[in-house]
Amino acid sequence: MSDVNSIPPQSLETTQSSVRVLTVDDSASMRALLRSALTSRGFAVEQAEDGQEALEWLASNEVDVIITDINMPRLDGFGLIEKLRGSALHADRPILVLTTESSNEKKQRAREAGATGWIVKPFDAEKLTTALRRVAH
Amino acid sequence: MSIATSLGSDNIIRMSVLQGEAKASSDPKVEFGTVLGSCVATCLYDPVARIGGMNHFLLAEPPESLSRSAFDGSYGLFLMEKLINEMLKLGAVKHRLKGRLYGGSNINRDLGEIGTRNAAFAREFLRGEGIEKAFEDLEGEHARRIHFRPASGLVKCRSVADISAPKDKPLVRPKSALGTVELF
Repeated sequence: MSDVNSIPPQSLETTQSSVRVLTVDDSASMRALLRSALTSRGFAVEQAEDGQEALEWLASNEVDVIITDINMPRLDGFGLIEKLRGSALHADRPILVLTTESSNEKKQRAREAGATGWIVKPFDAEKLTTALRRVAH
Repeated sequence: MSIATSLGSDNIIRMSVLQGEAKASSDPKVEFGTVLGSCVATCLYDPVARIGGMNHFLLAEPPESLSRSAFDGSYGLFLMEKLINEMLKLGAVKHRLKGRLYGGSNINRDLGEIGTRNAAFAREFLRGEGIEKAFEDLEGEHARRIHFRPASGLVKCRSVADISAPKDKPLVRPKSALGTVELF
């Protein structure tokens, strides 16, 4: 049998844990919530407090998917996406925006900057993890 | 002017902050008001910019089969973040914010200790974000009426008859807050 139900649970866990996610959010509470939601679903989670810290970390580290907030001090989510798209290392990295912003104008700006997707807070953990698995290469 | 806003003879603009809402203002004529049972209201104030904001939330009850960690913390956090963002848009600065917490009564026995859990969530949020808690009037078994002048930071809180409190129900996320995912 080759359907998904025949795969032992251990194998599924191993597959999921290979997805490494960097979350970028200036709210400590949101970082804690994301870490809890994602690690409990088998993702490996790294975290940065704003776009600048994320850029510095990404200069010497690998990750499969980035989730970023928009409104942050120092370097906001738009700035982070633009800088990553301009770098050879992260030009094709999937970047999901996770935000309380609901305006179409901001969504369009994120799309033009090169975001891979747009997720509105409050997030639904199942929808978020489905999106992560879909965009992770 | 919406039904939730009224202009009194004293020229004060009274605005209700209902469950699931967050509002901010720097207008000295504005007064936010709400009545709380199990819900918690967070009043934040930037004393330098003289900007204040208030939210009003009740976390969702977890299904009986799940532990307390299954609380819909994402929705509570969303209303906290929305409140802070509304204030930042007006010019407030996050590290200057001071918080006052009200409500969280265990007023409805059918809901167990949901007031206590809402209160714990609010305290933990302020602690985690490094926002100074200037005052709290939380828990107990009575309803509260809150009036908050956002431009001065002045809060008045008094106990009211339980019958005045809205019949709080564990929050089901509104359709506008379902964590929509759009891949480009």
